Amino acid sequence: MDVSAIMIKSAVVIAYAFIGTFIGLLFLGVGRKIVARVHNRVGPPFYQGFIDVAKLLSKKTNISHGWIFDLALLFSISGILLAFAFLPVGGIKLLSTDGDAFLVLYLLAIPALGFALGAGASGNPNAGIGVMRALVMMLSYELPFVITMIALMIYYDTTSIARIVELQSVNGISSWAIFIPPFMLAAAVADMALQGMLMEQPFDIPVAPHEIASGPMVEFGGKYLGTLMLYKAISIVVETTLFVDFFLGGGVIMHGGIVANIANFIVWFVLIFIVFTLSLLINTAFPRFRIEQAFTFYWKYEAILATVALIWVYWMVI
Amino acid sequence: MLDIILAEILVAAIITFFVGRKLAAIIAMAVSILPLIALLDWASLYGFNIIHLGIEKSISIPIAGVSLNLAITPLGWFFALMIIPLFPAIMLFSYSFYKKNDGFYPFMLLALLSSIGIIMAKDMLTFFLFWEMMSWSSFLLVYRSRDKEAVMSYFIFSSLSAFLIFLGILIIYQQNASLLLSSINIESNAYGVVAIISLIAGFAIKSVLMPLHAWAPYVYSKSDEPFVAFLAGGLSKLGYYGMFLILFILAGAKVLETYFTNLSPNYILAVFGALSAFIATLIAFMQDDMRKLLAYSSIGQLGYIAIGFGIGTPLAVSGALFQAFNHAFFKAVLFLAAGAVAYRTGKWKISELGGVGYRMPFTFMATLFAIFTLAAIPITSGFAAKWLLYESAIDAKYIFVAPIMLIAGVGAFLYSFRILYGVFLGENRYPNIKEAPKSMVAAMFILVMPLLIFLIFPGYMLDMMHDALISGNIATLNHNAFVIETSLASYNTIAVIVALMIALIPAILIYKTRKHRVVDFMDNYLAGELPELYDNKISMHAASRFYKPIEEIIGPYFEPGTMSYYMAIYRGLKAISDAVRKIYTGKAGDYAIYVTLFLLIIMGWFIWM
Amino acid sequence: MHPVLLIAIPLLVAFIIPLFKKYGPSIALGALALNTGISIALFSVVYSTGTVHEIIAGFAPPIGIFLAVDSLSALLAMIINLFALINFMAIGKASEYKFSMLYLLAVAGSTGIVITGDIFNMFVFFEITAVASYALVASRKDKKSMEGAIKYMILGSLGSIFILIGIALIYSQLKSLNIYDIASRISTMDAKIKWASVAMLLTGIGVEAEIFPLNGWVPDAYQGASGGVASLLSFGPSKAAIYAIARIMLVIFPLQKVYYLVLTIGVITLLIGELAALKQENVKRMLAYSSIGQMGLITIAIAMGMNEKNAILAIFFLMVSHASSKASLFLLSDSSGMGSAATKYTGIVSVLGIVGMPPFAGFWGKWYLLMAAINGNMLWVIVLIFFSGIVEAAYFARYLHRYYGNEESFSRLTKYSMAVLATMSLIFGLLPLIYEMGLKTLFGMGGV
Repeated sequence: MDVSAIMIKSAVVIAYAFIGTFIGLLFLGVGRKIVARVHNRVGPPFYQGFIDVAKLLSKKTNISHGWIFDLALLFSISGILLAFAFLPVGGIKLLSTDGDAFLVLYLLAIPALGFALGAGASGNPNAGIGVMRALVMMLSYELPFVITMIALMIYYDTTSIARIVELQSVNGISSWAIFIPPFMLAAAVADMALQGMLMEQPFDIPVAPHEIASGPMVEFGGKYLGTLMLYKAISIVVETTLFVDFFLGGGVIMHGGIVANIANFIVWFVLIFIVFTLSLLINTAFPRFRIEQAFTFYWKYEAILATVALIWVYWMVI
Repeated sequence: MLDIILAEILVAAIITFFVGRKLAAIIAMAVSILPLIALLDWASLYGFNIIHLGIEKSISIPIAGVSLNLAITPLGWFFALMIIPLFPAIMLFSYSFYKKNDGFYPFMLLALLSSIGIIMAKDMLTFFLFWEMMSWSSFLLVYRSRDKEAVMSYFIFSSLSAFLIFLGILIIYQQNASLLLSSINIESNAYGVVAIISLIAGFAIKSVLMPLHAWAPYVYSKSDEPFVAFLAGGLSKLGYYGMFLILFILAGAKVLETYFTNLSPNYILAVFGALSAFIATLIAFMQDDMRKLLAYSSIGQLGYIAIGFGIGTPLAVSGALFQAFNHAFFKAVLFLAAGAVAYRTGKWKISELGGVGYRMPFTFMATLFAIFTLAAIPITSGFAAKWLLYESAIDAKYIFVAPIMLIAGVGAFLYSFRILYGVFLGENRYPNIKEAPKSMVAAMFILVMPLLIFLIFPGYMLDMMHDALISGNIATLNHNAFVIETSLASYNTIAVIVALMIALIPAILIYKTRKHRVVDFMDNYLAGELPELYDNKISMHAASRFYKPIEEIIGPYFEPGTMSYYMAIYRGLKAISDAVRKIYTGKAGDYAIYVTLFLLIIMGWFIWM
Repeated sequence: MHPVLLIAIPLLVAFIIPLFKKYGPSIALGALALNTGISIALFSVVYSTGTVHEIIAGFAPPIGIFLAVDSLSALLAMIINLFALINFMAIGKASEYKFSMLYLLAVAGSTGIVITGDIFNMFVFFEITAVASYALVASRKDKKSMEGAIKYMILGSLGSIFILIGIALIYSQLKSLNIYDIASRISTMDAKIKWASVAMLLTGIGVEAEIFPLNGWVPDAYQGASGGVASLLSFGPSKAAIYAIARIMLVIFPLQKVYYLVLTIGVITLLIGELAALKQENVKRMLAYSSIGQMGLITIAIAMGMNEKNAILAIFFLMVSHASSKASLFLLSDSSGMGSAATKYTGIVSVLGIVGMPPFAGFWGKWYLLMAAINGNMLWVIVLIFFSGIVEAAYFARYLHRYYGNEESFSRLTKYSMAVLATMSLIFGLLPLIYEMGLKTLFGMGGV
């Protein structure tokens, strides 16, 4: 690959990173709006996310607890952007041919780890408890999620997300994974896992608003909290995109040409919005699970359903 | 040259028995330099022209009338790469770790000597002889702990391992009338299968594969850290060396496949590996003793190697060898770091530690990097290894192994954080300690180096194992220095690194443009309000039973523990022993009757025959 | 160097000692040193030339008294005398002139058993050894030692009677006592009498050789005896006796019927000994049971030696290994600890040697024994040996754990002597001496 191609590719990735950040912040505001409407409140304006981040990043007083604490800032935003770069977004592959689903899965752990280190370095025991809950939640939802992911990988005989998206778009919408019987089940399982990933109710115990002083981020303020909000915003886009790429063909409905790109982008946007809205609706409808309840839910019911889907797929493939 | 290396280590072992601790450490370090140079020189045999001294590579040592044949093989060389370099670093660490020389150095040198012997053995007698030497020299090092469980379980399990291996060797000898590795051909019959299985079980004991791991938590948690670093990092790999030898170089995997036509027995090894990885991980994060946590982590991480060997495809075996290499270094660093922390604080329990990282930043940095590699955070070399293994499981469609292996990978985050937070972060409980001595820090950073190299160039690792794989009739992967291609996907470190650089730009921009102020943690959430509570040592550190909610759910499933089953066997043996002892009634009359009965019985025997 | 000196010197000195009461121990020491020198010289002669035959009193065999030193007996003669010397130094102050006298008699008897080529002489030496041993066991003069000595004596006398009957039966048929002669004409014996004599000899010698179930005396005698005496018993009389079994089984009756019998006895002895040791809390008793187990192992090797060259090597290595390790462990058992460097060394090296770790002699013993077993296709024997090996590892691990580091009260000479004894196993495991000796044909054994 020559230098200009690399430059172009980098430019595209950077552009998408901006778009992703923008969409994420938009979703933060819109999400609050939707939840407020379900609660029959007025809610903040849809651009509230932008306001919050801008305010936090422009704060003059920023309190740090040493270099380990700063890792939270550095790791969280760079890690999530990195994960985003390795996902195909609306038919644009970005860097997803240079990595695969496992890479994305592990890249998603980088911000979590940075976050956890920062929280640990803050010395606040509440932050430690929050991180513990976040990690246990991660262990919980990852089991059903990886099982469904493996089902997909075995079915399509690839681990590359780009390739999975490609194979789902050969016959347009009808070849999306979600229309294959075992993957209907798998998608339902993965959607609940996504609920945990997004830390929406009933799985929002790690951040647990009103409970442990906002959990892991209790000591974060100013630019640190601002970055974390940015991270949260992008992670919504990344996680919903992951779901869309896996089960909804990545939103790809057309091939070739600039029109197709625009159409695919719009479809992708609509799909992630739908997935996000769905998660918000579940969020509003349920109370919060305690951590052990969440664990049991994922490792018992979800894992069994996911295993059924996996065995079903295995049986289809063999 | 090989003989000079072995001889100098032996002589050094004898000398270090008598000299003081500092001199002993220096001698031990010095003698391990020659094997390192030789390793680099032998690298030229496998396509890496690092230096070229033309050190010859095959010798035979006469002992008790027979001769031991040693030669450097591609596989041996690859395993030497992960065992020998650990040694000087560990010696450097021990330089300030010990207060006196009480038998650590000579036995460590003997352990090194026998490990070199094992991986360079050309015949089974040599292999077994050095294997046993390794067993007893490491036993004597375990022995220094004076802990009953550790000492007894290590001795008994070592013997069990030795006998299983011996049985396998005997059957192989019977089938081939030769012990030379090059002329061994395991027959595909019941005997051959028994041989392979017993060899693998014997090796699995040393490589702490569940359920044969029961000794490891005791030994790892009670012995000295420098030794445990070598045991977990280096010596545990010898079991996998043996497995590779049997399964691939002696084609044991094929023998098993031909014998069991309908099921793949390798699958069972992979399942044991996966269960080992999974269960050990879950147990690991419930531990309070730092060393026990690391012990279970070792069991888990070594399980991945078994998975790779079990799957047995080129992808899987490359991943397994890569994982073995990584594990050697990061686990050594972690155990050394545990030693350094204990050296300064005198504590092992995570619930009693906390905030050590603020005062020991370099130890923390080394630990952090080792943990990144352990938890397979991209772009560390740990990720490349795990990635290969995950790919191989999907490729081979092992639907049982793959999810378990992946979830064990996630579980690794949990126990990693337990160490990072519980020991190094959180409440600053040790405000007055100093950073570990320079030699300790240096040792840890030296061990981190190889991991850094293969972080950027995972392809080089595949190059290094190329000849070893070929010698085991395994194809190598399509790769260059940065990119590994498989039939399922590809992994490009350069893309990840460049993307990371770019992704760091906004982070650094935010970080640099906005000024911040560093405050002590006391200034923040406590706000000076509860000083008397703090003085009264009310803990502000959430470290005791950190994962309590999940512990309460999964804890009971692991309740009696594997050791209790072994203990039940042991108690059964003791009951038999008690019964047997009653034969000796202590009455001379009874004994006289025995003699008469014996005479009658053998006369009866002669008449009957 | 005439091999008869090996017997004559200690016998003679033993009877002179009462004349010089005060200097008794020193004279005994001198005699032992002289004997050791001779035995080493004899060993080197056999090492270079093979077997040595000597005729005493001028009559040609089968009438004259006849000494036959084959490779194994040369090795054992050296081991017994050398170890006896070191052991005597280790016993040190405890030895007064009576003790020294008995000690010399036991050594002379044991040496005699291994170098004689005449079964009646063998019986005589058995008697000398046995009587000296009873007295030595009792020499501690407490209740335990008396009890042990009495049991030993009862069973020993019973054994002697059987040996004598066995010899008589052979003599009645062949009119010969020479092993050579008997071996060449054994097929001419009446079958029933032949089997009866085998049974009698095996039973009689088996008592001394500690094979099950003839070894009832062993735990009590070893427990009652002082460390030095127990040590002597473990490398002297018991080794000589097991060698006598080897000679009788391998040379006189190398027959298939005997083969399975001896093999079975060996395996049972091994299992019973090792299992009984597992739960034993008293060190000396534990070591005694362990000795029984080791004797079982050697018996298995002897049985296999009828068909297998490897097993012959195994006999050599196992005997040396057991003699060295068990002797030092018995010496060590006098005090309940290993406190100083020398005793720690002794304890560890002996345990490693006895469980068969390389490069100790025990490793080679087990190696060649199992090689022989696999060549004979006896997987069950191998599995049982492994099983007993693990049991052995278990109780020795416990032993080490319990006694390592405790206070002890040995004199310096004792400590170093036992360290030297323990090191013997290492020396013989490294040097090619035993291997070379093992390759030479045993006296009277045709093809093996």
